[in-house]
Amino acid sequence: MTETLQTPAATEDRSAEVSVRDLTVVYRTDRGELPAVSRAGIELRAGEITGLVGESGSGKSTLALSLLNAVPAPGRIASGSVEVAGVGDVTKLEGKRLRRVRGGALGYVFQASQNSLNPLKTVGKQLLDLGRSHEVEDLQGLVRRARELAERMGLDADRVLDSYQHELSGGMRQRVGIVLALVLNARVLILDEPTTALDMISQAAVLDIVRAVHRENNLATLIVTHDMGVVSEVADRLAVMYGGRIVEHGPALEVLQRPSHPYTRALIGATARIVGDTTRARALPGRPPDLTTLATTGCVFRDRCPLASAVCEEEDPALVEWTPGRYRACHADPTGDRP
Amino acid sequence: MIEARNITRTYRTHGAFTGPRTVHALRGVDFTLPKGGAVSFIGESGCGKTTLGKILTGLETFDGGELVVDGTELSGLSPRRRAPYFRRIQMVHQDPYSALNPTRTVGQILGDPLRMRAKETGASRREQEDRAAELLELVGLQPDGVLGKYPHQLSGGQRQRVVIARALTVDPEVLIADEAVSMIDVSMRLGILSLLRDLRERLGISLLFITHDVATARYVGEGGELHVIYRGQVIERGPTDRVIQAPVHPYTQCLLSAIPVLRGIEEPGPDRLVPLASLDERTDTPGCLFAPRCPFATDACTAERPALVRLGDGAGGADDPGGADGAAGAGDAGDHRHACLHPEARHVVAVEAAV
Ligand SMILES: Nc1ncnc2c1ncn2[C@@H]1O[C@H](COP(=O)(O)OP(=O)(O)OP(=O)(O)O)[C@@H](O)[C@H]1O
Ligand SMILES: Nc1ncnc2c1ncn2[C@@H]1O[C@H](COP(=O)(O)OP(=O)(O)OP(=O)(O)O)[C@@H](O)[C@H]1O
Ligand code: SF4
Ligand code: SF4
Ligand SMILES: [Mg+2]
Ligand SMILES: [Mg+2]
Repeated sequence: MTETLQTPAATEDRSAEVSVRDLTVVYRTDRGELPAVSRAGIELRAGEITGLVGESGSGKSTLALSLLNAVPAPGRIASGSVEVAGVGDVTKLEGKRLRRVRGGALGYVFQASQNSLNPLKTVGKQLLDLGRSHEVEDLQGLVRRARELAERMGLDADRVLDSYQHELSGGMRQRVGIVLALVLNARVLILDEPTTALDMISQAAVLDIVRAVHRENNLATLIVTHDMGVVSEVADRLAVMYGGRIVEHGPALEVLQRPSHPYTRALIGATARIVGDTTRARALPGRPPDLTTLATTGCVFRDRCPLASAVCEEEDPALVEWTPGRYRACHADPTGDRP
Repeated sequence: MIEARNITRTYRTHGAFTGPRTVHALRGVDFTLPKGGAVSFIGESGCGKTTLGKILTGLETFDGGELVVDGTELSGLSPRRRAPYFRRIQMVHQDPYSALNPTRTVGQILGDPLRMRAKETGASRREQEDRAAELLELVGLQPDGVLGKYPHQLSGGQRQRVVIARALTVDPEVLIADEAVSMIDVSMRLGILSLLRDLRERLGISLLFITHDVATARYVGEGGELHVIYRGQVIERGPTDRVIQAPVHPYTQCLLSAIPVLRGIEEPGPDRLVPLASLDERTDTPGCLFAPRCPFATDACTAERPALVRLGDGAGGADDPGGADGAAGAGDAGDHRHACLHPEARHVVAVEAAV
């Protein structure tokens, strides 16, 4: 934990594999273009797993897709940059170069990836296609590696490679997606809700292997989830999103122990826990915003915030480093007192 | 009150690749669900939880055992005579997105079953409308705000409340909640759980709670029982917190060990356990169903299948710890049962970190 407590200067020194700056992503709706991600900034460094949490619709998947410059229409990256080490700004890439980066330097598993396999080809065939499209010379080595990864995730590798998608259960497909993301020796790994279709035992096994592969290859990993438990099991750093903003960001243990944003505090407080007094848990009031109900002035969380005050109506709080290594976007005091 | 005795359900399938196969979805499940009580079923994917829920609501048949509802044994009755008993048992499905017809407003969604019900109760049109509003308030929704809305205009949590309100239109005595909170946003899960607890306390509705998220089973109220299913067999059961804090069956211990620990706030339990292998349905298991994956299996375990016995009744001989061990905070042993030859209490779930 202490090694992540760096001074701002040290943070700058340690080069990031991915750095997102001032990123705004909009979707075209019948009320015009509305931002799903607003001026977000985040860095993914080698050897670190970053967890990205937040309610449904907070913009997690949109942000993850932006890292691959893969936001689907009617969405587009409106401003900002995504610098990937050795590649450059991916928001400027297109065509063949972009395709080579995706699945190459940037391994990814999309949300609901259990439905993203090609139904007409066996998994093994798709693996070979993936290898060829990324100019892998040693295809046998690729298959060997895929087989090893599959076995480690509790799959019968030969059966899986010979199967079509409909012959596999949801949980098996999800693990196949993870194998395909890991097999090409990516340097950056992006996993969007990688374990939602799994039961607890399979989830624990998948998180174990993600952690192991991450460590063996010194990857920069981003895990998107709405499950605080998953994040706390694997993440070194934790970023919390609300209404398209990153509202809190810092070393995972510290954020879990001493959340500094009212939304982070509420999310942790609303988690069903296996120990402790069940009456202590509190549901969040209100409902998560969507693009059309999001406040356009002031703090986006103010309707549900127990600490909201007059200033929150007018000023959208910026994400600032309030103590070394920890960032928050809130007018109130980090300990939970009113501004 | 529902009593299920030795319910079995076997599927015989004939796949093009796999050939004829037999799936033992349920291998003899017993439980009693008292009025206002709660029984939770937990277990891995495919262990038979949904099959049980479907049998109890009459959506699926069973091929062995007895189902007794309010003293009447149902398998002897014709489907026609059974229907009124199944009316008392309503299912709340996993997916609030597909459970509601997208082309109908909330008012219409509640109106249809209320009209059907009125044929039995003789409720007037006006009474039906009042009842719709009353039910929406009961589940924590503003009638004026939502009656005219379509499902897509509601959040996941609001939709699940509508699904529950619809189940309540026929005045059920039992709700079966099959993964009723898994697909709902975290921030709204607790709200639905406390609604279920409320329905037990205020209306005396009994709850059968099916989930693979064990922690949520603690939030459906006092006095609940937890049943752990493994491949169609209940392998451990007892008071919810007792089974969570001091499980004695190695499968329960593996399942509970896999619950993510909220690091920083919690620390991993001291005896965390991992199964030796992943589930392989193809392996023949004449003895204990869990033996191929169990770290404590002995020769005796593969010889015969252990039956569900009361903890302390000596199935495990000398190493049976009995009910008296007292892992801290586990409370009264109550009626704690297990199907293991070598039961031993282990503390596997997280403990609160000293902060
Ligand atoms: N194709 C689209 N057209 C219009 N709006 C969209 C589109 N895709 C996403 N949005 C909106 O953008 C916002 C952010 O969506 P996003 O999928 O990034 O959220 P998320 O945090 O990943 O949510 P979840 O936890 O449900 O996956 C939401 O309000 C969503 O409704
Ligand atoms: N109609 C059917 N025909 C054949 N097999 C079936 C049928 N319905 C269920 N099964 C099998 O019975 C077993 C139990 O299924 P069930 O749906 O009850 O599991 P579950 O515990 O609800 O799982 P999950 O947590 O994934 O929902 C599974 O092996 C399943 O494949
Ligand atoms: S800025 Fe104001 S409304 Fe927003 S989270 Fe902080 S205290 Fe709450
Ligand atoms: S009976 Fe034997 S194999 Fe089965 S759970 Fe107990 S110790 Fe393990
Ligand atoms: Mg998403
Ligand atoms: Mg099920």
